[in-house]
Amino acid sequence: MGNTQELVTIIPWTFIAQILNLFIQMYLIKRFLFKPINEVLQKRRELADQEIREARDAKEEADSLKVQYEEGLANARTEAAQIVQSAQKEAQVRADETVRQAQEQAAGIRRKAEADIAQEKKKAINEVKDEIGGLAMDIAGKVVEKEINEADHRKLIDEFIKNVGEAS
Amino acid sequence: MEFDISGARIFFRIPTGLPILGDILITETLVISWIVMAIITGLCIFLTRDLKVEKISKRQALAEMMVDAATNLVRNNTGGTQFDKLIPFVSALFATSIVSNLISLIGLRSPTADLSTEAAWAVVVFIMITSEKIKAGGILGYMKGFTEPIAVMTPFNILSELATPVSMACRHFGNILSGVVINGLIYAALAVASSALLGLIPGAVGDFLSHIPILSVGLPAITSVYFDWFSGCMQAFIFTMLTIMYIANAANG
Repeated sequence: MGNTQELVTIIPWTFIAQILNLFIQMYLIKRFLFKPINEVLQKRRELADQEIREARDAKEEADSLKVQYEEGLANARTEAAQIVQSAQKEAQVRADETVRQAQEQAAGIRRKAEADIAQEKKKAINEVKDEIGGLAMDIAGKVVEKEINEADHRKLIDEFIKNVGEAS
Repeated sequence: MEFDISGARIFFRIPTGLPILGDILITETLVISWIVMAIITGLCIFLTRDLKVEKISKRQALAEMMVDAATNLVRNNTGGTQFDKLIPFVSALFATSIVSNLISLIGLRSPTADLSTEAAWAVVVFIMITSEKIKAGGILGYMKGFTEPIAVMTPFNILSELATPVSMACRHFGNILSGVVINGLIYAALAVASSALLGLIPGAVGDFLSHIPILSVGLPAITSVYFDWFSGCMQAFIFTMLTIMYIANAANG
């Protein structure tokens, strides 16, 4: 057994070789275990992140769609209300107009009728006056047989008629 | 029957003629270190074959678990991610140590049963500790650290600083060597015992049987649970933990 080293000793070259071995081993572990595994872990993390991101995006989109939809619904509702309101207003206006026109028309007809009546009355009165005047003249001429001043007569008659008119 | 415990066998001797370094000795330690490295690297390559992101194989799960364990060990003991660059080094240290310790189970001589190996690791760790200390406090701060709490303590501080790698190396080496020695003794003793026991059988049969160490089957398996398995795993873990702790402490003041 002469070909062995001492039991407790440090052999310089072995010492140096073991330092190198340790670093070579470090490189090998880094290269063959940590690098590929960390890459896979990184990839998986990215995948998970991406899925979360996509889910969040989808949710945001759904939310915005919901808001849009609700907005549209509210808009439609107000529009409908507006339409109903304006229709009501228009109908009211139109009805008012119709009533007013009818009233105006009625008033016009009435006014015209009154004016006609008044005119007719005047005309009738005048006719009656003339006739009564003439009649009275004739009667007076025949009754009195006396020529009087026509002017005086007229005055008398007019007075008389006036009195008649006032009495009627 | 004589029993002899000696150092690693020397296979080749390459003369260099250098004064201090001496001859290059291709010893059992070196050869088995290379075997250990081949085993670890082969295992790494085997475990990381066809990696997938989803629906991973058991192999890949084991590899990921190991990476996670190493990462968490370093991060939990240094409190943060500032020492992530240490993870491969620590893993290499642990893997080399544990495989070297356990390779004695298949009858090879552990490279860690040679003080040169542990001394090499301890010196690397010591250089790392010192460089972290210098990085943290500057060269002056590092020097000043020896005079604390009072200047009289300086020699003791230097001593304790140097004791760190020495104690690390010797602790590991001592444990593994003790396993080698105890196991050697047990095997030798059992061989002697079985030889004596079977030698009681008269005639040629006893003569023949006394050369077979029949008692060596069984008992060494039980003692090796402690001296190889437990001690081997424990020392690898202690050495790794101490490395992380010392370096973290050095950087944090």
